[in-house]
Amino acid sequence: MSSVFQRYLALANQVLSWNFLPPNLGRHYIAMFESSQNVLLKPTESWREALLDSRVMELFFTVHRKIREDSDMAQDSLQCLAQLASLHGPIFPDEGSQVDYLAHFIEGLLNTINGIEIEDSEAVGISSIISNLITVFPRNVLTAIPSELFSSFVSCLTHLTCSFGRSAALEEVLDKDDMVYMEAYDRLLESWLTLVQDDKHFHKGFFTQHAVQVFNSYIQCHLAAPDGTRNLTANGVASREEEEISELQEDDRDQFSDQLASVGMLGRIAAEHCIPLLTSLLEERVTRLHGQLQRRQQQLLASPASGSADSKVLDDLYEDIHWLILVTGYLLADDTQGETPLIPPEIMEYSIKHSSEVDINTTLQILGSPGEKASSIPGYNRTDSVIRLLSAVLRVSEVESRAIRADLTHLLSPQMGKDIVWFLKRWAKTYLLVDEKLYDQISVPFSTAFGADTEGSQWIVGYLLQKVLSNLSVCSSEQDLANDTVQLLVTLVERRERANLVIQCESWWNLAKQFASRSPPLNFLSSPVQRTLMKALVLGGFAHMDAETKQQYWTEVLQPLQQRFLRVINQENFPQMCQQEEVKQEITATLEALCGIAEATQVDNVAILFNFLMDFLTNCIGLMEVYKNTPETVNLIIEVFVEVAHKQICYLGESKAMNLYEACLTLLRVYSRNNVGRQRADAPAEEEEQYQDLLLIMELLTNLLSKEFIDFSDTDEVFRGQEPGPAANRSVSAADVVLYGVNLILPLMSQDLLKFPTLCNQYYKLITFICEIFPEKIPQLPEDLFKSLMYSLELGMTSMSSEVCQLCLEALTPLAEQCAKAQETDSPLFLATRHFLKLVFDMLVLQKHNTEMTTAAGEAFYTLVCLHQAEYSELVETLLSSQQDPVIYQRLADAFNKLTASSTPPVLDRKQKMAFLKSLEEFMANVGGLLCVK
Amino acid sequence: MADEIDFTTGDAGASSTYPMQCSALRKNGFVVLKGRPCKIVEMSTSKTGKHGHAKVHLVGIDIFTGKKYEDICPSTHNMDVPNIKRNDYQLICIQDGYLSLLTETGEVREDLKLPEGELGKEIEGKYNAGEDVQVSVMCAMSEECAVAIKPCK
Repeated sequence: MSSVFQRYLALANQVLSWNFLPPNLGRHYIAMFESSQNVLLKPTESWREALLDSRVMELFFTVHRKIREDSDMAQDSLQCLAQLASLHGPIFPDEGSQVDYLAHFIEGLLNTINGIEIEDSEAVGISSIISNLITVFPRNVLTAIPSELFSSFVSCLTHLTCSFGRSAALEEVLDKDDMVYMEAYDRLLESWLTLVQDDKHFHKGFFTQHAVQVFNSYIQCHLAAPDGTRNLTANGVASREEEEISELQEDDRDQFSDQLASVGMLGRIAAEHCIPLLTSLLEERVTRLHGQLQRRQQQLLASPASGSADSKVLDDLYEDIHWLILVTGYLLADDTQGETPLIPPEIMEYSIKHSSEVDINTTLQILGSPGEKASSIPGYNRTDSVIRLLSAVLRVSEVESRAIRADLTHLLSPQMGKDIVWFLKRWAKTYLLVDEKLYDQISVPFSTAFGADTEGSQWIVGYLLQKVLSNLSVCSSEQDLANDTVQLLVTLVERRERANLVIQCESWWNLAKQFASRSPPLNFLSSPVQRTLMKALVLGGFAHMDAETKQQYWTEVLQPLQQRFLRVINQENFPQMCQQEEVKQEITATLEALCGIAEATQVDNVAILFNFLMDFLTNCIGLMEVYKNTPETVNLIIEVFVEVAHKQICYLGESKAMNLYEACLTLLRVYSRNNVGRQRADAPAEEEEQYQDLLLIMELLTNLLSKEFIDFSDTDEVFRGQEPGPAANRSVSAADVVLYGVNLILPLMSQDLLKFPTLCNQYYKLITFICEIFPEKIPQLPEDLFKSLMYSLELGMTSMSSEVCQLCLEALTPLAEQCAKAQETDSPLFLATRHFLKLVFDMLVLQKHNTEMTTAAGEAFYTLVCLHQAEYSELVETLLSSQQDPVIYQRLADAFNKLTASSTPPVLDRKQKMAFLKSLEEFMANVGGLLCVK
Repeated sequence: MADEIDFTTGDAGASSTYPMQCSALRKNGFVVLKGRPCKIVEMSTSKTGKHGHAKVHLVGIDIFTGKKYEDICPSTHNMDVPNIKRNDYQLICIQDGYLSLLTETGEVREDLKLPEGELGKEIEGKYNAGEDVQVSVMCAMSEECAVAIKPCK
């Protein structure tokens, strides 16, 4: 009996998950809808009578109450309810009926879940119901239901969110495989975000109390006892084994970014409660951390051998602070890509609202004394709460810096170090040098403490720089921390206004000098970190300075690089000593720095940087010769060229671009001379080296080609006054370099190398670009090169991934068009395209292929058909004559007739081509699968 | 300047390895693992517990034998890095499984074995066919081996 009932439920679930699509939807849309997981219920009007009958939803609620203990059936019945919760569209005759339906539904829902203990298997289903209700029903419908009912609904949502959150935390402690509560919690938090984002429909403060509850419970779940319940199970504190965490494990701030964004938003709504709460929790932990570290230091002094005492207390503190900083970061600021992030309006309002009670001087004092306990400052309660929260994080940071100075780095948590600089970066982007023009009204404490031309902002910039220096001096062994730290540095200098303050700090100049001297500890940093550091130093050089200072700055930052480099390579016996370790290190460091300089390129500094780098590039080619035996150096040299081309080519005017093309061409010539015919020992490491060289060269060529698509240099303004007149005698063009490069790469490419997926994709991307941009150059290629290019295309179409196949098909169209233009019927390209016609024909008609490719294949096919009409007819004839079944014969013949009906005779004309593509789609739908070889 | 590097002294007495902080090693660079000079083919980090310190996991391939070695150590530790030298010599002849090579200074070395495997066969083939070839020789930790050949220009 119950299995019959289960079938019934599954059927009902299927019906309610139907896609009601309009009949004339294109195939693409249908595919899109079919692939989407969550189908919302949007039936036609004819379903009105069936679904709007309130007994239907009541039935489903009743059913669920009866079977909820059976976890399989409960999932189906909850899914049915979730579908009903997403009902929308023409089924509702008017808004009133929608309000009635929603009210009825919420009543049913509350009756079902209030007062019961929710089963594990119900959590996800219930959260989907709520999430669907909040996503699908418009705000004005939500607010139109009886207000008491709505209040109960929101209370219920609050209660469920808190309770799922606690259960999710338990799941984490117990390390369960199936995290149902975590999924349900995620969904509810997301629903909150949807609900409160558009809050003008609700009266002010409506959500505040609820936000407080959800926020509190989140904090509680993430703090250790006694304030929180982290790692608490029914049997007391679970002692979690210290597990190995690999570098691939995402940081919490990314892994839980959705949760944190919701909690941060709720924290803003309830700023009155949440900001002081975070402040006091953080301040209290700073004091404890400070005490703990002091105690450990004394223990160490007393008995240096005592070694690793129990680290549980410290680890608990670190974990608390970790979560508090993450929540604070998400609460105070948004993370935006590219645009300037604004101070959230709720935070601004909150600060303004209290600014009359605030003593500005005490606020500045709290901010400016991170080494002291906040509560030791007289009048500390009359300070701006937002600034005090920031200063609480600065206090954590200060304890960390002092511990570093006291040589306690081994006791510190690198994770907490990352959290601190991550927070400071996020905060600085939004608040530091706040631009008053962007806001209707601005909080006086903010503009006094962080505004332009204030002592406060100057102090903070100095403090942040100190922090960066302190971190870099000890964290060379913690790559992630070093990376987050240099990212903070880049944030400080990437905007001119901030950079102007930065370069006034002495510590900045010290950093520059120290880095230029390549002395420890900065030279211990890993190479990506060193590159970013170089980038930051270069960006800082474009801040506003008087000419003399600027001159001095470049003398400190860039000149040493040049001097050291020239001193090394200009030594008489350089070729003999080039293999000495110190020399190699010097060269490697220079090449790394050049990559960093290229990364710093912006439209307004490209002129200076390009000229600076160009001098090096010429010398680098000499290095290629000297280090021809040293693959890792050759690799790095090519990388410098790749970076320069990548960052700068789009800004270069004609003659500068020419310089770069020439340099690249020479580089490739030297590389080819040293590597063609070279055979290496067949160790796997050697093959990988060659693979990397080739990959880089292809990247370089693709970067050079990209100028044909993206070119910002039309006025050449950035180089005004430097151009030596119009480049009348163009010696080299992008096409020459690229084709030369391809000529060089092709003999080195092997089918084995094409098994590296990145290399394969890059290779096909490159040859497709070439065919698209310079189709006229293809027939002029040397015979060998031409043949291998055509072979590559064929290989790509027949035995590579579908992505590569698509690229090859895209390359065919311009090639065929080129043939049509040239009107030579005996050229090798003409003959090759005839071969491709057959390939594409077979692919479309005879083989199973990815439907996404139909467009690219169709375009290529049409152009090829235009070019080789006779051969096309022949192909069709051959195919038809081989059919024995008269029914299939007729169907095929009709389909082929229809296919070309709109374009007879086929000519290269856009309108006809479009018509053909449309007929092709029909053709495929009609006979597509008919001849597939199974 | 104290940190100035002295480029004028030769390598007489130079040690065959030098120390480097683990975190500053790079993939495709070199390191000594279990007493053997290796090329680093894989480098990853991990930590014990969320608030632990980083450890570096290294996988290297012996540059002479192709054997694989692994090691794991705290990222603050120093590792030995072998000094690697590469030289190109012109091949004069092959005798009893040994190569006769002409150095840049005009001296003849006869102490290097013909390598085993594909490369050895390749060298032998080219030599027997009378082709002029250059042999690249890699040297690290007082061991030497031919690693590549290319035709003479």
